[in-house]
Amino acid sequence: MATRDAEKRSAWAAEIGGLAYEGAHAFGGDTLHRWRLANGLTVLVLVDASAPVATYHTWFKVGSRHERPGKTGLAHLFEHLMFNETENLPAGTFDRKLEENGAETNAATWVDWTYYYESLPADRIKLAVKLEAERMARLVLREPQVKSEKEVVANERRYRVDDDVEGAANELLYKTAFTRHPYGWPTIGWMEDIQGFSPEDCVAFYRTYYAPNNATVVVVGDVRERDLLAAIVREYGPLPSQPIPPEDIHPEPPQLDARDLEVRKPTATQKLLLAFKGPAFGDADHATLSVLSEVLFGGRAARLYRSLVVEMELATDIRGWVSTFRDPGLFECWATARAAHTTQEIQRVMDQAFERVCTEVVTDDELARAKARLELGLLQQLETIPGKAEQIGFYETVLGDPVHAFQRVEAYRRVTVGDLRRVARRYLGTGGRTIVRVVPEAKAPAEAAQ
Amino acid sequence: MSSAAAKAHHAPARFELDGGALALLEASHAVPLVSFVIALRCGSALDPVGKEGLTRLTMRMLRRGCEGMTSEQIDFRIDVLGAEMAVDTSPSTVAIHAQVIARNLDAFVDLLAKLLSAPTFPEVELARLRRETAAEIVEARDNDRAVAQKAMTRTLFEGHAYGRSPGGKTDSVGRVTREDVVAFYRQIVVQGNVVIGIAGDVTAARAPELARRLVTSLPKGAPTPDEVPEPSMKPGRRLVVVDKPERTQTQILVGTLGTSPHDEDHVPLVVANAVFGGTFTSRLMREVRSKRGWSYGASARTMIDRHRQAWIMWTFPAAEDAAPCLKLTLDLMATWIGAGVTPREVAFIQRYLVRSHAFEVDTAPKRLHQALDVELLALPADYHTRWIERVRAVTPETAAAAVRNRIHPENVLAVVVCTASNVLEPLKGAMPDASEVSVVPFDQE
Repeated sequence: MATRDAEKRSAWAAEIGGLAYEGAHAFGGDTLHRWRLANGLTVLVLVDASAPVATYHTWFKVGSRHERPGKTGLAHLFEHLMFNETENLPAGTFDRKLEENGAETNAATWVDWTYYYESLPADRIKLAVKLEAERMARLVLREPQVKSEKEVVANERRYRVDDDVEGAANELLYKTAFTRHPYGWPTIGWMEDIQGFSPEDCVAFYRTYYAPNNATVVVVGDVRERDLLAAIVREYGPLPSQPIPPEDIHPEPPQLDARDLEVRKPTATQKLLLAFKGPAFGDADHATLSVLSEVLFGGRAARLYRSLVVEMELATDIRGWVSTFRDPGLFECWATARAAHTTQEIQRVMDQAFERVCTEVVTDDELARAKARLELGLLQQLETIPGKAEQIGFYETVLGDPVHAFQRVEAYRRVTVGDLRRVARRYLGTGGRTIVRVVPEAKAPAEAAQ
Repeated sequence: MSSAAAKAHHAPARFELDGGALALLEASHAVPLVSFVIALRCGSALDPVGKEGLTRLTMRMLRRGCEGMTSEQIDFRIDVLGAEMAVDTSPSTVAIHAQVIARNLDAFVDLLAKLLSAPTFPEVELARLRRETAAEIVEARDNDRAVAQKAMTRTLFEGHAYGRSPGGKTDSVGRVTREDVVAFYRQIVVQGNVVIGIAGDVTAARAPELARRLVTSLPKGAPTPDEVPEPSMKPGRRLVVVDKPERTQTQILVGTLGTSPHDEDHVPLVVANAVFGGTFTSRLMREVRSKRGWSYGASARTMIDRHRQAWIMWTFPAAEDAAPCLKLTLDLMATWIGAGVTPREVAFIQRYLVRSHAFEVDTAPKRLHQALDVELLALPADYHTRWIERVRAVTPETAAAAVRNRIHPENVLAVVVCTASNVLEPLKGAMPDASEVSVVPFDQE
């Protein structure tokens, strides 16, 4: 059956012209098909007829890691500029065309990638093909467009960072933990950089990174695959590929010192953000450290939730997260102290828990609990058609494997209690970690520490 | 019609259970997950004055101890089954939302049934939950948008059940005793008051038995009567400034009374609102964000409940743009009320609402929630099933009339979270006809 499918699709490729069939991937009970256009555009299609809708994702291998000091936030600015005028679409037309066809559209940018999507009734999918191809190559970048969006992004920054306690603390954490690697600057950019962008900066960035050979189109939904491919070839086929410059990234040197900062904010309670250097997302240790994070932080039965929130009542909220970046990132631990309690008290309890997982193995029950929670989380991400497209695009862009989500579950299943102790010893050393403490503004340091 | 399109039109299967309980099933085998909603036909509107938060505390206590299991054992059991559960409270309903990996369905239903029918309400756990809840209320003050919404709700619906926070206040949750919780549980968790929703990887043949297991041990009892009066608002144009230090940005909400789902002009008002502030290309977004870059977002919405709810518009400009932005949004609102909407705008938004409806029903949980809304908010039975037809029937004239009849510019409340010392005077200038201006601290409850 698989051979017949491949032959059928190879025949489609020959009939349509300008694209090659590159094979199939099992995606749960379905099949994801991979195609490539002559200009290098990768296309991944998963036919899913569970609802009369479709999602069209375009993932670019460009994020804030591709910026340089003084021009931070440029990748994110495009998340806004890309909805403006193109050579064939006057300002405002892009969104109006999509809305009047019942579509929802948005975009996201992070350190390693940027993606754009349209979710629309399945019979309107060709509109997304046409619009995305148009803005991939024919965006208009002049002073009025750039000026207006700079203002909007400045307001977004005020909302997400400047007036947001957690956003501000997180930005400071990465700035402190990364001294050389671009993960040290915020994806939204520093305010002075945002306000300084020129149309020339934007044109240069666009011409460098917005090219078919730097993108992956992911389509999931109730679509006719052959018709869709013909439309993609028709719209994208004429776009030229571009030389993508080699990355110019400085690896982050090992952190040998503990970095501990305090910041004052208008908030009622103290907050602790503590981070160890973690593995890259593609590292085999990443899944293991994620399981350990669940043992310690995931859900009400997790070790640190039980001790900090339930039993000792030092915190209202705790969280742990291993960053899902291409290069080594952080294992972030967040805690919100209850009134009158301090980050120092919380840190003492956390350190005891970290020490314990380095010396003793966790119980089999704890391991089973953590694995079950991670499996639930993965299935929840695959509940919707847009959710499936996001998973496919993310894993393809970061790891080059669009169905890696399923391997990830298998990796969780293979983790043993011995593996957890090994990664704890490898990553949870106190010598090279970074701590940001948020202290309520009204209190003097001595008072805050009591 | 394709099988996928057909899903958009059918209603979930209904099962009558013992004692007047109701179950709804929307099956889907897309992923091996099963979702549950265990809802009651009453909500925080029942909270006694001075003990706001009682409904939510009572339902949250269900997982803090049951016969044969401690709170810790329950938490562990939920996790190890690959499940999760949370409580959602609104004025008209309170519900446990839960989800489980399908292979553990039976064991999870047994656990849920036990939590529902045999809670022990340990005193020590209630004391802990009271403290936890109070700490959460304090923590929520870090979120300026949440601060603005709370201030809007309590001021717009002052003196009415809709004006009380479902989560309670730091002092009110502290006054809730174990006796209050036990008595309230006995009053509301009865068969006739329960609506069970099941969505996902379960067959129609199994669903009735699963739902029965959830309610069979509950006592018989009637649905809670809805004794909430129709809300009204204090007349006049008012400005409430919520003072918070060091804000570089402001949160601006402008609200008034909106619509009831039973109003004949409810759908025309929803359509007119979508033109005004319901999409990315709406009037509000175009004027506030696209033309001026003043705010990352700008929107307006008509909220629904059993009785008339609020109409609210939202922007969040930088502090220096707050006054002109407030003036602009009030002017846009006045134009919307005075001049209505154009035929072109209505035709455009009808195409959007009709075609995007596919995303209201594209998953089993969404289809289930529509049916649950009808039951729990006492919506007209065909509220969702005839939605597209009603949207298509709206004309520019009916849309404009709905705005004129329902949105009264003489009764408007503007709530602005900002640093008052920087922005108060310009804000007063932006709303010169305000009959009342007040400044309240951001931690006022």
